[in-house]
Amino acid sequence: MASTSVHIESVTKQFGDFTAVNKVDISIAKGEFFTLLGSSGCGKTTLLRIVAGFMQQSSGRILFGDKPIDDVPAHKRNTGMVFQNYAIFPHLTVVDNIAYGLRARGLPSAQVDERVRKMLAMMRLEHLGHRRPRELSGGQQQRVVLARAIVIEPDVLLMDEPLSNLDTEMRIHLRSEIRTLQRQIGVTTIYVTHDQEEALMMSDRVAVMSAGHVEQIGSPADIFYRPRTRFVASFIGESNFVPAEAVADGVYAVPGGGRFNVPAARAAELGRKAEIAFRSHDITIGAPVAGGWTATVIDAQFYGATTRLVLDLGDGKTVQAASTGHAGAVPPPVGTRVGLALPPDAFWIFPEKR
Amino acid sequence: MQAMQAWVAHRIGFWPIITLLVFLTLIALLLMPVVNIIGMSLSSKDPNSSVIANYVEFFSRRFYYQTLINSVQVSVAATFFAVLFGVPAAYFATRYEIFGRSFVRAAVVLTFVSPPFIGSYSWVVLFGRSGIVTQTLADIGINLPSIYGAPGIVLVFTLQFFPFVFLMVSSGLKSIDQSVEDAARNLGSSELRTFFTVLLPLLIPSISAGALLVFVAAFTDIGTPIIIGERFRVLPVLVFGEFVNEFGGRPILASTLAVLLLTVTTSALLLQRWYAARHAYGTSAIRPLLVMEQPPLKRILASTYVLLLVGLALLPVINIVISSFLKANGPLLIAEFTMENYHRVWRTIGTPLSNTLYYTTVATAMCAVVGTAVGYIIVRRPGRLGGWLDGVVMFSYAVPGIVLAVGLVVTYNEPPLILTGTSAILILAFFIRRLPFSVRSSVSMLQQLSRDTEDASINLGAGPGRTFMRITVPLLSMAILSGVLLTWSNTIRELSATLILQSGNTVTLSIEIFNEVVNGNFGIASALGTVLILLTFLPLVILFAFLGKKEEALV
Repeated sequence: MASTSVHIESVTKQFGDFTAVNKVDISIAKGEFFTLLGSSGCGKTTLLRIVAGFMQQSSGRILFGDKPIDDVPAHKRNTGMVFQNYAIFPHLTVVDNIAYGLRARGLPSAQVDERVRKMLAMMRLEHLGHRRPRELSGGQQQRVVLARAIVIEPDVLLMDEPLSNLDTEMRIHLRSEIRTLQRQIGVTTIYVTHDQEEALMMSDRVAVMSAGHVEQIGSPADIFYRPRTRFVASFIGESNFVPAEAVADGVYAVPGGGRFNVPAARAAELGRKAEIAFRSHDITIGAPVAGGWTATVIDAQFYGATTRLVLDLGDGKTVQAASTGHAGAVPPPVGTRVGLALPPDAFWIFPEKR
Repeated sequence: MQAMQAWVAHRIGFWPIITLLVFLTLIALLLMPVVNIIGMSLSSKDPNSSVIANYVEFFSRRFYYQTLINSVQVSVAATFFAVLFGVPAAYFATRYEIFGRSFVRAAVVLTFVSPPFIGSYSWVVLFGRSGIVTQTLADIGINLPSIYGAPGIVLVFTLQFFPFVFLMVSSGLKSIDQSVEDAARNLGSSELRTFFTVLLPLLIPSISAGALLVFVAAFTDIGTPIIIGERFRVLPVLVFGEFVNEFGGRPILASTLAVLLLTVTTSALLLQRWYAARHAYGTSAIRPLLVMEQPPLKRILASTYVLLLVGLALLPVINIVISSFLKANGPLLIAEFTMENYHRVWRTIGTPLSNTLYYTTVATAMCAVVGTAVGYIIVRRPGRLGGWLDGVVMFSYAVPGIVLAVGLVVTYNEPPLILTGTSAILILAFFIRRLPFSVRSSVSMLQQLSRDTEDASINLGAGPGRTFMRITVPLLSMAILSGVLLTWSNTIRELSATLILQSGNTVTLSIEIFNEVVNGNFGIASALGTVLILLTFLPLVILFAFLGKKEEALV
């Protein structure tokens, strides 16, 4: 498949005074599954639509391989796009939907038939070929539009929250199917989602976006375990943030008596006041230790597989601790004093929140 | 040549070219005529006179300005009564289990689509000086008030145009959520109080929109005042007089009158928009108002009211259809069944019928094509030109057929392009008159169609033109078809603009009926009228029965 690398160079998109995409630089390798992750309004869909050619960037440029595509109209870009609401052609059968792009390219009908047939087989849609879209389930419709986008052998496959209109079960099923399919055909893919689980599970690399700019680009593990900004730490996973104050060289104290060791260079950079972040599920709860980090349980929320404790550190600061329960486990009752512990590397320190 | 076209299309783009063509069309057929009548009304044969000399003359001669006062009076009165009777009728028909609901729906549509001038003559036949009802009642000593003049006009307009209010309010009621009413009742408000304090305020945009339609229709109608008005003269009739009295008419006077008409209708439109916008709450019903179960007495009273109103409005139509099968001696009908009227019509109907079908079909097709394209530009390609286009189309709503007709005559009665007296001018007038309605319906259907579907087509490699033809048009085909049926029904019975634009060769069915009525041949007029009502009603039957549209689509 004639897949290609994609280079987004300093792309900015403005709508009047509003900057939807702000100087974004991303290089995507050939065959890579790359995800733009962010909440609604962060600019991820705008960026995707710019790559597809539905919008023109205000500045910056985009290359497929070494070829700038900024002057190529949308219908000549050879990108296959999958839309959030399917955008299936409701008046055409499954076969005609899939054949649409091939016919637009003027392929001889024998070749069209052959490729559509192969695609139907690949997507296990053979028995539905002559159905109309309204006779299909949501999951089937999504497979049809995926087939329609892939059959044209696009240089880049673009997916705009393709699973968000499906129910949970279908979503979980289709995301592995899409991932497997993408590896199998090796098409460069840009995937847009607000669902971090989806992003972490499917992608080779992820760009976390916020307010139009890229916060961090990295592998799913990078993003999850080594967030480089406060935003990424708060957006991915379930994190606690507590104010921290330097009490000695390279040692910061947090409410409740916790002590954190920070490399001297980083401490010098941050100054006296900072903020410490850690994941709820990294905290372990035990008996209080004299001179250790302690808190009072003020609420215990039972969720089945996990139990969440709301802990009061004093100074009006609370944090949450999540523990995986097992049969017979009894959470400490409200009012109990407990000791807290974190593994040595399971925290990040950021500049003081203003 | 084709390579050249392809080059142009590639360089400039498919839609910019279409936008430009549409613009030129609107300039030629709408803006130029309007600008010309305004220019004409400010001109004079005497170079020394002031630019407003024509208006000064109009307002200083009672013969002229009285028509404006008369027009405003009858239109305001008709609007008032249409609202007064139409709103409760819509409320009862929507909320109560009234008897004969399907009949009411059909009757409202029939009333709405029957040509108003036929209605007027029907009323003369029934209640005129030698009318059937008048004579019968006179024999037993009851003298009815005269139906001629202002009261007759107001009566006909009210009954003819109240469906505007009825349909608007019915659709407005459907956009109110049941919970709003429930909340009012729960807080202790009676049904009547709830209607006045909750429903009525929410209905203001619908009521005012209906009222505006009644007012404009009444204010610009020519046929009814000529037939039933007698010495009570209104402004549109004065305009028409300019075209029949003197050959070619006095374009300066006609233009001045047309500008006055346009000023009033435009002001009414702006007033309504402003008023409705202040009272728009953007309600949309998740669970629309339900039909309420009523005690039998209330149900009977409400049904009686609605049935009486629509029955009265339908009376002229029934009268026409029955009369068409009766023996006629001039204006006098004899109670004896005959097909004679149809036999006589059969010999003369050829030209008007084929003209009518030809003009209506061509104008309808043009509306469908151009209306869909314009709607597409406005919704999908917003930009400065799209905004302009939207503005121009909105403006054309306010231009009544009669004003447009005067404008077209003034613009195209001399070289380089003479269109007066041709079929083309009628077709173009019908086309431009209905275009805003086609645009509005294609705008609303495009807004419901997700843009992603078209983007998907572009993304798969189909160009803008191919995408429009292969995706947009097929998806809108049902909506376009309903638009076509509506345009057809509305165009085929047009009278006011046709009266001004037609010549002997371009006579249409409605003109033929009008002439027969004026000449007192009610038998023939009835037979022709029945044919016209059928031609108007059939497409609507298709619309409602097969395309699942509701009567509200008419407005």
